[in-house]
Amino acid sequence: MGLSVCVNKQLKGFTLDVSWAIGDELAVLFGFSGSGKSLTLQLIAGLMKPDSGVITANGTIYFDGERHVNATPQQRSLGYVFQDLALFPHMTVRQNILFGAKGVPENERSERYRELTETFYVAALENKRPSEISGGQKQRVAFARALMRRPDVLLLDEPFSALDTPLRIEMRAFLKDLRKTFQVPVVLVTHDAGEAASLADSIIVYSGGSVIQSGSITDVFNNPADERVKRLLVGQEDTLRTFCKRH
Amino acid sequence: MDSSAFFSLRLSLQVAFAATVLIIIIGLPIAYLLARKNFPGKEVLDISLTLPLVLPPTVTGYYLILAFGRNGFIGRYLYEWLDWSIMFSWYAAVLASFVVALPLMIKTGRAALESVDRNLINAAYTLGHSEWETALKVTLPLAQRGLIAGIVLSFARALGEFGATLMLAGNIPGKTDTMPLAIYSLSASGDQEQATGMVVLLTSVAALFLYLANRYSRRIF
Amino acid sequence: MKKVLIMFSMLCVILFCAYPSGASSAEVMVSAAISLKNAFEEIGKLYEAKYAKTKLLFNFGASGDLVHQIAGGAPVDVFASAAQKDMDDMSAKGMVLPGTRVDFAKNSVVLVVTKNSKIKSFEDLATERIKRIAAGNPKTVPAGRYAAEVFDYYKLAPAIKEKLIYAENVRQVLDYVARGEVDAGVVYATDAAVRGTEVSVAAEAPELSHKPVVYPIAVVKGTENEAAAKAFVAVVLSKEGIAILKKFGFRIP
Repeated sequence: MGLSVCVNKQLKGFTLDVSWAIGDELAVLFGFSGSGKSLTLQLIAGLMKPDSGVITANGTIYFDGERHVNATPQQRSLGYVFQDLALFPHMTVRQNILFGAKGVPENERSERYRELTETFYVAALENKRPSEISGGQKQRVAFARALMRRPDVLLLDEPFSALDTPLRIEMRAFLKDLRKTFQVPVVLVTHDAGEAASLADSIIVYSGGSVIQSGSITDVFNNPADERVKRLLVGQEDTLRTFCKRH
Repeated sequence: MDSSAFFSLRLSLQVAFAATVLIIIIGLPIAYLLARKNFPGKEVLDISLTLPLVLPPTVTGYYLILAFGRNGFIGRYLYEWLDWSIMFSWYAAVLASFVVALPLMIKTGRAALESVDRNLINAAYTLGHSEWETALKVTLPLAQRGLIAGIVLSFARALGEFGATLMLAGNIPGKTDTMPLAIYSLSASGDQEQATGMVVLLTSVAALFLYLANRYSRRIF
Repeated sequence: MKKVLIMFSMLCVILFCAYPSGASSAEVMVSAAISLKNAFEEIGKLYEAKYAKTKLLFNFGASGDLVHQIAGGAPVDVFASAAQKDMDDMSAKGMVLPGTRVDFAKNSVVLVVTKNSKIKSFEDLATERIKRIAAGNPKTVPAGRYAAEVFDYYKLAPAIKEKLIYAENVRQVLDYVARGEVDAGVVYATDAAVRGTEVSVAAEAPELSHKPVVYPIAVVKGTENEAAAKAFVAVVLSKEGIAILKKFGFRIP
């Protein structure tokens, strides 16, 4: 159970060159906007192609530059929750979630649908359109949809950034529960230290397209490797104090 | 109004309808390609397909004769193999209408398809749906308003097509005189009354089609 | 979705039920300049009365366009143009059946004006009062070429250069004058006659001022219906045909 990522991608005026691996845990890609975190997720998902490198998940090779292996996004067993959730506006909640059941055998489909909608408390919203439900409900529908196929990895691209604080706290708890119920490695992208602090098992710090520090959350927060990491933690002193007190 | 008016009307509708069907079958995939893919020569393709919109229809008709006339660079093979020329037949009217109205479908269709949120398409891919499935279930439904607008525009243009049709299909009463051509003939020979009658008839029919198209464009998928 | 498919198929059935017919066995296609429309349609009835088995099809348009079509392989059997030039073009391209070219009608060039206009002659066109003059495009319309020759004869070119509005066929010129869109126009006498109630003939151009307006007719080389095509030409040249031409204001060369 794990994800291993080693990629190099050159864009106009920006180079991404990172290498990290995680096991069955919730890893946070942490850093300022524009440091390459979302780009990494896109490369893992196969929505963009790295210039070179290797990406494997659960023993399956998704991408290998040297051996010319490049699985299509459809072939990769991933769940992806986009920043704006990307729920299909022309489909009901039910249709949205079932859209994620591609390849699931007929007899299991309704069983999984029931299980997910009950766990996420969205069963009653079945016939509503995304425009008719609240922000928090949309979140849970997006997660349900992403989990229908029991993916090997869950990729979350700042999914809570558009929510207000109470809801954000609620969703963090939701995510922790999710990890307990569905044992699936999660890669969460965020630039919010509080979020990282409350959710991460391990943290991978990004800056300017490279990883400048990684390790457990205690390591990074207590021993920031250099100025850049310190800068990321600026303004988060309160969070750190609370965090450090507990640890 | 005599029977020739109704012949012209029926012919016009047949020609416009046939041209529109061709435009959907050929234009929609091209619009999709232009909207979603990158390939060498893409903009050249877009420009050359848009040209008939800018050229006067008579000029377009002239080029069509060069291409499809009995001695044309495509027409000569048709004549050699099938002993048949498209000129002065109702197929020529369909071809002329197709060529002049195609750019409308492509331009409108491309814009409509490009406006579909990229994230939604990416989401569908990550959920395991192939490009073809995604196009059918996500991209096309979300672009349908613009696509239907393109179809309606093309139909309207095909219905009113005159210059290129005149050149390629000729103005042959009882055979290729679509409504616009018939109106032109009548008006040119001083028969204003009949001409006006046909104008009213054509306008009413066109208005009816547009009304129906607008009504049913709301929900198809 | 289903509703749309049903409507669509119904529409298909209705429209394509009576499929527009293809070619019939004996057909004669006559391409003629648009100024010959009224006269030829009547002559056509004469022909059909005599040769009931042959289907007569007309294709009216600007002489220049008609030549393009024939050169492009259009299935035309007889060609009648409003000027020698277009027939000469056809000859040069080897598209005229030798021995069939005949001059069958003459026309005169006139200046038409709106009913209560004060214009009395071609020279009047140079005056300040006259703002717009319509004529055929000399490049594609024979009547336009004749108009240009007449203007040259009266040495009007510099004075009226800014006032000229070109139309793509003579009937359009006539229309502009009839509607008052222009102050005057140059058309054939036969055209003016067609809308006699709406326009007046201010002056007739003297025969000297332009090349003679002689209409040639010929059988197109490569016709599949030579006999029927020649028969049509014969009808045009017959006594009854000539009578019809005269009726519409043409003269006989």
